[in-house]
Amino acid sequence: MEKGQGGIQMLLAAEQEAQQIIAAARAAKSARLKQAKEEAEKEVAEYRAQREAEFKKKLSESSGDSGSRVQRLEVETQEKIENLKEEASKVSPEVVELLLKYVTSVKN
Amino acid sequence: MNDAEISKQVQQMVRFIKQEAEEKANEIAVSAEEEFNIEKLQIVEAEKRKIKQEYERKEKQLDIRKRIDYSMQLNASRLKVLQTQDDLVQGMKNAAEQQLATISESHHEYRVLLKELIVQALLRLKESSVLLRCRESDVDLVFNVLDDAKNEYIEKAGVEHVQIHVDNHKFLPPGPDSEGHGQFCSGGVVLASKDGRIVCENTLDARLGVVFKQKLPEIRRRLFGGSGA
Repeated sequence: MEKGQGGIQMLLAAEQEAQQIIAAARAAKSARLKQAKEEAEKEVAEYRAQREAEFKKKLSESSGDSGSRVQRLEVETQEKIENLKEEASKVSPEVVELLLKYVTSVKN
Repeated sequence: MNDAEISKQVQQMVRFIKQEAEEKANEIAVSAEEEFNIEKLQIVEAEKRKIKQEYERKEKQLDIRKRIDYSMQLNASRLKVLQTQDDLVQGMKNAAEQQLATISESHHEYRVLLKELIVQALLRLKESSVLLRCRESDVDLVFNVLDDAKNEYIEKAGVEHVQIHVDNHKFLPPGPDSEGHGQFCSGGVVLASKDGRIVCENTLDARLGVVFKQKLPEIRRRLFGGSGA
């Protein structure tokens, strides 16, 4: 009878061990899945940081060259204005004379 | 069965139980890995897509902002140029205005001009009786040329006579003072029908205004080429 009991004990112990093995595997699985979320988040954060860096770079580049474009425009505009003034002062006496001529000539 | 056989069977069963458990554990581990990969991939792809869209939108807005700013800049500078053109042309008119005052200083030519202006106004009004107004300083000259003007008009218009009443009470304002403030008149005459309803402003200033408006497109073209309204 004792030997029978011993056998049953062994079987029960083996059952228990089996449960533990499976339980451990399940625990490992859920830990692994949690890890999936964590690693995914890490990758996503890296990607975001990379895009952000690219964006910042684009931002500073564009403000740099639009600043210089604005300056060039300013300079061009000033040049145009100076040229106009020069032309006008050259032509002004003629124009004034013309206007006065028309004022003082009467065709009746 | 004897003890040895029982014991062997038990051991076999124990082994079997353990084996089953380990196979099961293995399956679980394998599925864990699969699910790990799928889960991770899904999350990463979905999030990356969102981020990509977000940044593409940001970059597009940046681009639009840049273009708007530049176009505003361009407009502002075009306006500046147009304003300058306007100012320059106005400056010429002002210069002409200033010189107007000197016309009445050369009496000989001014006298002739006055007569012609009177005749022109008479021809424009075609009235038999008119009111004439001039500067106080010009009254003498006006009376001096009045008869000549009348006769010239009568001849050119083919009328019998004309009545010109020179206003001796109310005059056109005097020439501009040194500062050019207040109302002034550089010369010429204003004629009106007797009832005052039809007026012909033949002052030098009014004439300059008219000429300037007429010649403006030509002046602008000369200065600024094709550009300019």
